[in-house]
Amino acid sequence: MTIKKLLRRNELYAAVIIVILTAVIQGKSGQFFTANNLVDMVRSLIVPGMMACGLFMVIASGNIDVSFPYTAMLCMFSVTRLFQIIDYQGSVIVGFLMAAVLGLLLGLINGVLAAWLRLPTLIITLGTCAAYTGFTQGVLKSSVISTLPVPLARFSAATLFEVRNGVTGLGSSMPVCVILLIAVLLVTAFIMKYTMLGRGIYAVGGDPVAAERAGFHVGFIKIFVFAFCGMIGGIAGLTQVAVSGMCQINFFEGYEMTIIAAVVLGGASISGGTGTVFGTFLGVLLMKLISNNLILLGIPTNWSKLMTGILIIAGITASGYRMVMAERRVTSPILEKKDAGEVKG
Amino acid sequence: MNKDKTAAVRIDMKQLIQTAGFRLILLLVFTFVVLSVITGGAFCTFDQIRLIAQLFPEMGVMSLGMMLAMIAGGIDLTVVATADLAGILGCLFMKLIMPADAPMIVQALVLLLTTLVVLAIGALCGAFAGTLIARVGIPAMVATLGASDVILGLAVGITNGSSVKDLPPVLYRTVSWRLFDIVPFPTLVFAVCALCVYIILSKTAFGFKIYMIGANKKAATYSGTDTAGTITLVHMISGMLASVSGLLMCGHFNSARSDFGKSYLTPAILICVLAGVDPNGGKGKVGGMVLAVIILQMLSSGFALFQNISDYYKNLIWGLVLILVMIINVASERRKAKRT
Repeated sequence: MTIKKLLRRNELYAAVIIVILTAVIQGKSGQFFTANNLVDMVRSLIVPGMMACGLFMVIASGNIDVSFPYTAMLCMFSVTRLFQIIDYQGSVIVGFLMAAVLGLLLGLINGVLAAWLRLPTLIITLGTCAAYTGFTQGVLKSSVISTLPVPLARFSAATLFEVRNGVTGLGSSMPVCVILLIAVLLVTAFIMKYTMLGRGIYAVGGDPVAAERAGFHVGFIKIFVFAFCGMIGGIAGLTQVAVSGMCQINFFEGYEMTIIAAVVLGGASISGGTGTVFGTFLGVLLMKLISNNLILLGIPTNWSKLMTGILIIAGITASGYRMVMAERRVTSPILEKKDAGEVKG
Repeated sequence: MNKDKTAAVRIDMKQLIQTAGFRLILLLVFTFVVLSVITGGAFCTFDQIRLIAQLFPEMGVMSLGMMLAMIAGGIDLTVVATADLAGILGCLFMKLIMPADAPMIVQALVLLLTTLVVLAIGALCGAFAGTLIARVGIPAMVATLGASDVILGLAVGITNGSSVKDLPPVLYRTVSWRLFDIVPFPTLVFAVCALCVYIILSKTAFGFKIYMIGANKKAATYSGTDTAGTITLVHMISGMLASVSGLLMCGHFNSARSDFGKSYLTPAILICVLAGVDPNGGKGKVGGMVLAVIILQMLSSGFALFQNISDYYKNLIWGLVLILVMIINVASERRKAKRT
């Protein structure tokens, strides 16, 4: 890969910022590259990383979904509550399957409405988002579940390995759920890169009319991306329970913004058609690096919301600018030649 | 001869029934009657109606801005954040410059000055979002989403998330003042705002440009419209309207907080969709907005009469109604398209 090609990769910018940030944090605290901090970092990436994969697919298809955190919330509460009520003792896999199916159904609602109504998906998902939140808080009357049912508690306590920081004595453990994150990343990357469906998602995001003419079923692709995003949301919801060891209603408040920011910072164009799973993951990493180290970076927590906003705008502006430049390269070679000629003359 | 006349009237009636405005009036009456019956008459008392008139402008003025952005083919998600920030800064400003034991006339002047400051803040927020959309070229939805985080972030940062209290009483008194003891002050404000928006949309070239950009942006650009300038201005007006609603909220609660407007975003969009504003742009009228705002506030106040319906159900209902209205709008439009 030539340097020029590498420079055009959208992920590069996120990667460069990540390297600079880690250097700054390491320089300021000296605690960044310690075993326990790195494990904690990965731990905090699990749920946002999964959700970003689902949202990335939606954004790549040129749509947007703001309802997935609330899908996650609904699935998290209904499965945990159900387990509590029937005093379930079996495998936790059943729980994840249930969450996935429920999430899939909720995502299907988004997808079918989007494909059928052909209205801006933001408004549609804002509507379903309000409905899901209302259902969770009103009908299910959920707020906090602090003692988890046995299978979830067991899964929550299960760890892959433990590390201990020799200097500070602080330890942390890698939860088993990290496998789920890796699985979701791999599956999403596989679909997007190696299947006809993935190519179709990029095509629809690039230009729906052209994709339809090329033989892609635009409606089906729309339904698929929303259903997939919902399913990942459901799984991520239950994963959050396992990671944090409890259910809380405000786990995912404002998550939609963070995840959208992460996906966009990772190089996916908000108007669809571009981006990679790897870039998305880098975007999540960048967001988490900033939000976990706000105080170290000298930003009071009160201003963190402002920070997210600025990051989103900066990320989108950068990716939009690159798009404009790329378009100029493609569409106006004559103009450029003329400019060059003028310079010479 | 006579027969012809009745036929003509019948056709007129048919056309009238098919207009969106008539359907909205029908819905308004229907909502009112149903709520009155369900609550056993508690809903159709004079006090209740006055309360509705007192409350609907907060949501309504904000929605007018949202409508302008939507007609121009975009959306303005900053309205809530702008209302909060403008309210907070306005209240802080008022507290700062209000002299102690000021006579009535000075108080009124201070309030006027505060209003101007608040409008300027709203215009500034709108200009920020509008510039991102029109000059930088970010899609309206994400630009306003990001801008809303920035604006709300400022509001949270300035107040540390707590509320601004101990305001000079003049704001509260003005907002709860009633014309002839009947028409609440916020209603008058809403009427003025709605009139302004109506004049802009249907009497000025600028308003025509807004519709044109919403219907087909490319065509508008090629026919010589300054799309970037128009869109920026639309968002500035929207920001100003939002800031007015922010000040009304502060007057209502007699304090300012960064999360007052939080619950208004979904209703604001719902009002626009209910009023027949096309989310894809190019369509929408102020008359529909007025009716839709009143319908929504009636529903909201109606729920408040039931003690056992928690606030959470409101979310569920707003969401479901929004989706339902969109389905009905799209279905009826497709049927119309098929017929012609």
